[in-house]
Amino acid sequence: MKVIEIRNVEKIYNDSEVKVHAVNGVDLSFDEGEFAAIVGPSGSGKTTLLNMLGGLDTPTKGEIFIGGTNISTLKGSKLIDFRLHNIGFVFQSYNLIPVLTARENTEFVMQMQGVSKKLRDVRVEELLTAVGLGDRFESRPSRLSGGQQQRVAVARALASKPKFIHADEPTANLDSKSTENLLDIMEQLNREEKITFIFSTHDARVVKKAHRVISLEDGKILKDEVRK
Amino acid sequence: MILSLGWKNIWRNKTRSLVVIIAVMLGIFGGVMASGIMQGWIEQRIHTSIYNEIAHVQIHDSAYMENEELKNIIKDYNQVEGVLDTMKGVTAWSPRVKLMTMAEIPTNGAIGGLILRGVDPEKEKKVCEIYRNIVAGDFLEERPGVPSIVLGSKAAETFKLVNYQITPSKLKAINPDDFPDEVIGKVEKGTQDNFENKRDFEKELRHILSKDEYDEYATKLMKYFAYYELGKKMYISLPSKGDNELISGNFAVKVNGIYDTDNDMWDGMNAYVDRQAMNKITGLTDTEVHEIGIITPDRETGVNVAKNLGKYLPGYHIMSWREASPEIAMYTDFSAVMAYIYVAIILLALAFGIINTMMMAVLERIKELGMLMAIGMNKKRVFGMIMTESVLLTLTGAIFGMVFSGIILGILGRTGLNFEMFSEGFEAMGYASLIYPKVSVLDYLITTLLVIITAVISAIWPARKALKLNPVEALRTE
Repeated sequence: MKVIEIRNVEKIYNDSEVKVHAVNGVDLSFDEGEFAAIVGPSGSGKTTLLNMLGGLDTPTKGEIFIGGTNISTLKGSKLIDFRLHNIGFVFQSYNLIPVLTARENTEFVMQMQGVSKKLRDVRVEELLTAVGLGDRFESRPSRLSGGQQQRVAVARALASKPKFIHADEPTANLDSKSTENLLDIMEQLNREEKITFIFSTHDARVVKKAHRVISLEDGKILKDEVRK
Repeated sequence: MILSLGWKNIWRNKTRSLVVIIAVMLGIFGGVMASGIMQGWIEQRIHTSIYNEIAHVQIHDSAYMENEELKNIIKDYNQVEGVLDTMKGVTAWSPRVKLMTMAEIPTNGAIGGLILRGVDPEKEKKVCEIYRNIVAGDFLEERPGVPSIVLGSKAAETFKLVNYQITPSKLKAINPDDFPDEVIGKVEKGTQDNFENKRDFEKELRHILSKDEYDEYATKLMKYFAYYELGKKMYISLPSKGDNELISGNFAVKVNGIYDTDNDMWDGMNAYVDRQAMNKITGLTDTEVHEIGIITPDRETGVNVAKNLGKYLPGYHIMSWREASPEIAMYTDFSAVMAYIYVAIILLALAFGIINTMMMAVLERIKELGMLMAIGMNKKRVFGMIMTESVLLTLTGAIFGMVFSGIILGILGRTGLNFEMFSEGFEAMGYASLIYPKVSVLDYLITTLLVIITAVISAIWPARKALKLNPVEALRTE
C-alpha cells in the first residue's frame, strides 16, 4: 500500500536574481513499512525533498500525497495539524525539549493530539523500553548522551503512530557505536511497527542499512535502488 | 501541558527569571506601599473629619445654612427625631446648638472667637470622638456649679491656658521609645523653668537641641511637656431668644477639659458645652437645635441615608459627608486615582523588563520553537506558551510582592509610620503625622489583575515574533 506519492514535484528558490531548481520534476512513491534513504551530495536537493515530504516546505509545482491527502494544498494550521497526526520527525541535533524528561518528551506529541494519560503512559513505556531507555524515563536531555537523546527523539517521533518518519541526517552528530545502535533500533521498530522511515543522509552506515536508496543529483533522481 | 511547560521554561535561565521576579516584587511592593501610605494618610484624615467634625450626615434648617443665627433652628424636631429613630442605616445621632461666639478669660487677659457647640454629652459621644482626644481634664462630666467647657489645644494657647515645663515627674515618666537617649539627655540638662509662652519654650528647645533633633522632636516634646491650666473661668457672649445680638459675657463656664486632634484649625475654633446649660442663657428649649449629626455604619451608607432623609424630611438641608466636606470627598477619589497612577507607572516600567526578558527567551529558543512548530505545535499553542511564561513569571513576582507588602503593611498598620518631623505642617492642614498605611483587599485584587494584564500585553510582541518563525529556517539556526 502506498503511503507517499510524489508527482512531478519541483522546488525553485529565487536566490536574488538567479532561479535555483532545488528539486526538479521528481516522481516517487513509498510503500508502507519502507526503510529508505535519500542520498546525494550537498545541494543535490535531498533535504528540500524531505522537507516537502514532511510538510515543512511547499513545492513550487507538483503534488505530494500522504495517506491519500494532497498536502501541497494544505496551509497554515491545517498543515501543522496534518504534521501532528501523520508525520514523525527525527532531527540531526536531536531537538528535545531541554526542560522535559525523556518520558515527557516522548509523550509531548501525544499530549498535543489529545491522547488520554492512560494510553500515553502505555505507549511511552513501550517505546522508551524499545529504544533501550527503560531506566531513564525521568532523565532530562542534559543527563543523556547524544545517542540516548536521539533514541528519545525516535521514541517521540513514533509515539503518535505516524504514517512515516522524517529523519534528516539523524546520525550526523553520533559516534559509530551510537549510530549502529540507533540504526538497529530504528530498523527493529520499522519492522515491528510497520512505519515508513525516510532518511536524508550522507552517512554510509545509514545507506548500508537502508532497504531502498534514492540517489539525487541537481534536484533529479539519479538512481532508485531497492535492496531487500 | 502548556501551563506545565511554561512554568518549566521560566526556570531555564534562573538568574534572569529571578531578576524579573524580584523586579516585579519590588515594583508591587513600592506601588502598594506608596498607595497604602497615601490611602492610609487620607483615610485617617477622612476618619478624623467624619468622627471629630462633620459626622456622616448633618441636618440643618435651610435658613441656618443661609445665616447661622440662634433663631434658625430645626423646625419640627419631633418629626426629625421620629424619622431618625426608625430609619435603617442610622447608628447614632446627636442634636447640637451651634453658635459663633466671643469668649474671654479676663484673668489671663485673653479674648477670642469660638464656635460653641451645645451638646448632650452622652449622645455626642456616640457620634463624635472628641472625647477620646482629651489631653487634660475630661469631656463634660457632670459637676455641680459653673458649667464646663471643653476647648481645643490650639484654643487653649489663644486663651493662655497652656504652660510648658520640663518637670522631674514628666522626665521620669517619659517613654524611652518616643525619644532617642541623646534627646532625653539634653532635655534633662535643660532648664526646668515654667514657660507661659509657647514661643519661649520653642526658643529653649532650639537652644538645647541640634537643628535636626529640633526639627524631628520639638513638636512632640512641646506636647509632652505642656500643662493645661484647668478650672479657669471663661465668659462667653451668647445671644438670647428674641434678641439676636450677643450679650457680653452672659455665659460663665469653667475650662474643665482640653482636647487635641490632628487638625489645629478645628482645635483652635471649636468648643463644647452642655446644651442644657447653654439653653438656660439662650432660652432655647430641649427640642430647639441647629444641627443634628448622624453616624452610619460606613461612608456609603451615609450617602444613602442622606438621600433617604431628603425624601422623608423635605424642607430641611440634609447633607452627607461628601457635601459637608467636599474636599475630603475629593481626597477619597483622588487617593484612589493616585494609587492607580503609582501602580500604572510601576507597571509601565515592569512592562519593558518583561518585554526584554520574553524577547530574549524567544530569541534564545528559535531552533526549539521551529522544532515545536515542525512536530505539530500550532500557532495558538505557541502563542499560549509564550503568554503563559510571561504571566507565570510576573505572577510569581506579584505573589511574592503582595505577600511581602502584606507583611510590611500589617506591621506598619499596627505601629504606624512616623512623620514626626513634618507634624507641625501636617497638623496645620488637619493631617496626622503618624500614618497607618492601608490597602484594601479589592486594591490587592485589582493590582494583581493589572499585573496579569501587563504581563499579557508585554508578551504580545515576543509571542508575535515567535509566530512569524518559519520552522525550516528556525531549525537551521544554531
